[in-house]
Amino acid sequence: MAYGSVVVLEDIDLAVAEGEVVALTGVNGVGKSTLLSCLAGFLRQAAGTVSVLGGPPRDDPEFWRSVAIVADQPTWYPGLTVRELLELVRMTHQPLPAWCVPVDELVEIFGLSARADASPLSLSSGQRQRLSIAAALARPSSLLLLDEPEQSLDAGFRLELATLLRNEYAANGGTVVMATHDHEFAMAAGARIIGLAEGRILEAAEDAEDAEEPVTADNSITGPAS
Amino acid sequence: MTAEPMTITVERPASVAAVRTFIGRHRRRSWVDWYAAGFALLVAGIYGADILASPLSRLDGQAGSAAATHTAALQAVTGAGLVIGAGAGLLLLAQVLGPLVLSPADSSWLLLTPLSRRGILRRPALTTAVGATLVGALLGVLALAMAGPYLHAPSVDTVGSSLPGSWLALSAVAGAGSCLAAVAAEALVQPGERARALVRAACAALAVVALAGALAGQGSTALIRAVTAVFGGLTTADFTTAAIVAVALACFAWLLLGRAAADFPAAALRSDSARSGQALLAAGLLNFSLLFWIAEDNHWRGRLLRSRSWPKLPPAMTVAWADWRRVSRRPGPLAVVAIAAVFPALLGAAFTGRAHGILIAAGLVAGAMAAGLQGTTGARRDTDSATLHRLLGVDPARALAARAVLPALLCTSWLVVALIVLPAVGSLGGWWWPLLGLAGPGVAAGVLRLARTAPVDPSNRGPDTPTGNTPPWMVSRFISVAVAVIGSFPLLAAVVHGHAGAGTVASQFLVSAVVLGIYLMIAGATGR
Repeated sequence: MAYGSVVVLEDIDLAVAEGEVVALTGVNGVGKSTLLSCLAGFLRQAAGTVSVLGGPPRDDPEFWRSVAIVADQPTWYPGLTVRELLELVRMTHQPLPAWCVPVDELVEIFGLSARADASPLSLSSGQRQRLSIAAALARPSSLLLLDEPEQSLDAGFRLELATLLRNEYAANGGTVVMATHDHEFAMAAGARIIGLAEGRILEAAEDAEDAEEPVTADNSITGPAS
Repeated sequence: MTAEPMTITVERPASVAAVRTFIGRHRRRSWVDWYAAGFALLVAGIYGADILASPLSRLDGQAGSAAATHTAALQAVTGAGLVIGAGAGLLLLAQVLGPLVLSPADSSWLLLTPLSRRGILRRPALTTAVGATLVGALLGVLALAMAGPYLHAPSVDTVGSSLPGSWLALSAVAGAGSCLAAVAAEALVQPGERARALVRAACAALAVVALAGALAGQGSTALIRAVTAVFGGLTTADFTTAAIVAVALACFAWLLLGRAAADFPAAALRSDSARSGQALLAAGLLNFSLLFWIAEDNHWRGRLLRSRSWPKLPPAMTVAWADWRRVSRRPGPLAVVAIAAVFPALLGAAFTGRAHGILIAAGLVAGAMAAGLQGTTGARRDTDSATLHRLLGVDPARALAARAVLPALLCTSWLVVALIVLPAVGSLGGWWWPLLGLAGPGVAAGVLRLARTAPVDPSNRGPDTPTGNTPPWMVSRFISVAVAVIGSFPLLAAVVHGHAGAGTVASQFLVSAVVLGIYLMIAGATGR
């Protein structure tokens, strides 16, 4: 995978089983977000194959019925409240034959009860991040792609979210692939940690720890921020 | 936690129409929003009609009376070039923005769902089509107006004194059809970066050729004869053919787009929607800083630069030098702005009457400000932060004075070029005009102020007035433009009256020096 002449990912060989939680870790710019974008079909790899749910990412209604993604901060509809937004997400995915969390429960679990009738624009950045993730769980999906879900979240809620992903989403057959810098969060989610360094997957688990070493002039990698 | 599958509340997949109804029902708009939008449209309509009155008056001329004067002939050639250039420029803008884009909120919440992609795109496609139709029809009518005095029209079914109403309608249809077809073609290539680059290059080339033709027409009798001869040879059959071909092309292109819409790639829509959403919001809020930031971000993202050491200069000059480096690293926009120095001359040649002087003056101020803004990136990015000055150990007043040099030079250079072209094509008489480029420093004061204005705070809506909200950031930006106008007032007054002399040059020199000096003194002392 390359941006112009800059090769970001190379020799990536990764298989994720159904119901598994996988955490991609590595320093900034190593290619975590790029890998998620490849899985979502936003970017096309220069060589090799990417298979998601039995085929290449298709960018059609059936694909997006099965795949949910939480990446950059969404833009909110002016005038819609937190509750209405979650209802909208459920509406766009009807019928809802598989596991997902009802709006009332989502609002409670994600600590948004007091702001359920407020506009998302009036929420704090952490609350907006909670709402973004809640929206992904308001509809059924088989694969959940999360780009640094821990951003802006307090430590306590990170743990709750990790538990939710492991005990509810994955336990009901959903697969999670996330990019994260928080090993504790990844471990709490029961994730298999995949370390990336210099655009490649590190072999051993201890290498994954190395991948979180601070950037130095010698090992910095040029590429888009991830 | 509900762990079992949810109850299926609706058996059938939701339709886009139902989802849009849901959103519309829950969106809360106040009457002030509608009032402000209506008022803005009304004001735009009044000013637009005033500007268009002059070119459209050519439709009332006696057809075949191409005893038309040399001025009328010049206007025909220049106007035709401007109409084609404007069309190409608008198509270029549409391609940069999309042209098929969802609102950022739709892109966030409707795009990556099981909803029909074609259904999601129906509304933005309709909006694009309506816009293209209106713009195309207007350009078609304007093109006819440029040809007005040279048309040999039959003496039946007339508009005004002699021009057939059917010609007017057919021109509008031909313009609308052409514009619709072009926009649909742009939408079809929207997902392909290489194809988009080609379309952008083609539109830019067409605009440059049209403007070059318009400019060449000022001095080429052969070109004027050729163009007016073409106008004179037009018949009803020509107009009918043009309209039929344009409509057929539009239908074909939109049919193809309708088919392609079902599989329109989400990735392209996401990035285009985010970019155009930001750009339109910034334009709506007169947020020039954000508009420049978007353009710069688009250009520099993914590019690798070779680092160079800073020069050994006094601290204030070192801070200012960063802008000189930016300009030298990316001279393209400056070249475009330099080419645009012919615009005031073209506007002067195309418009007569009251609009003549006013449009030239407006073009001069706008162009000089655009040129000056190319050299204010540093001030715009750090808004002359006092903290930064402390960190760098630079005296703020000296830093600001050093930063004023580049925009002042750019404004002056641009004005000198524009004021050389204007008399050369006969829009202004006399040889004093180039010396009035001395207005550059005066305009630079407004440019610097605009660049140093604090970022827009959209939540600060300000008090309600009969024209809607007047937020402080908007007032501040208008004041910056006012400073530029005051700084170049002798020039602008001379342009409007069509006469300049030694006294004008002297007063302009004085006004520029005073305005820039006072601005630097106040801004340097107060930090604002």
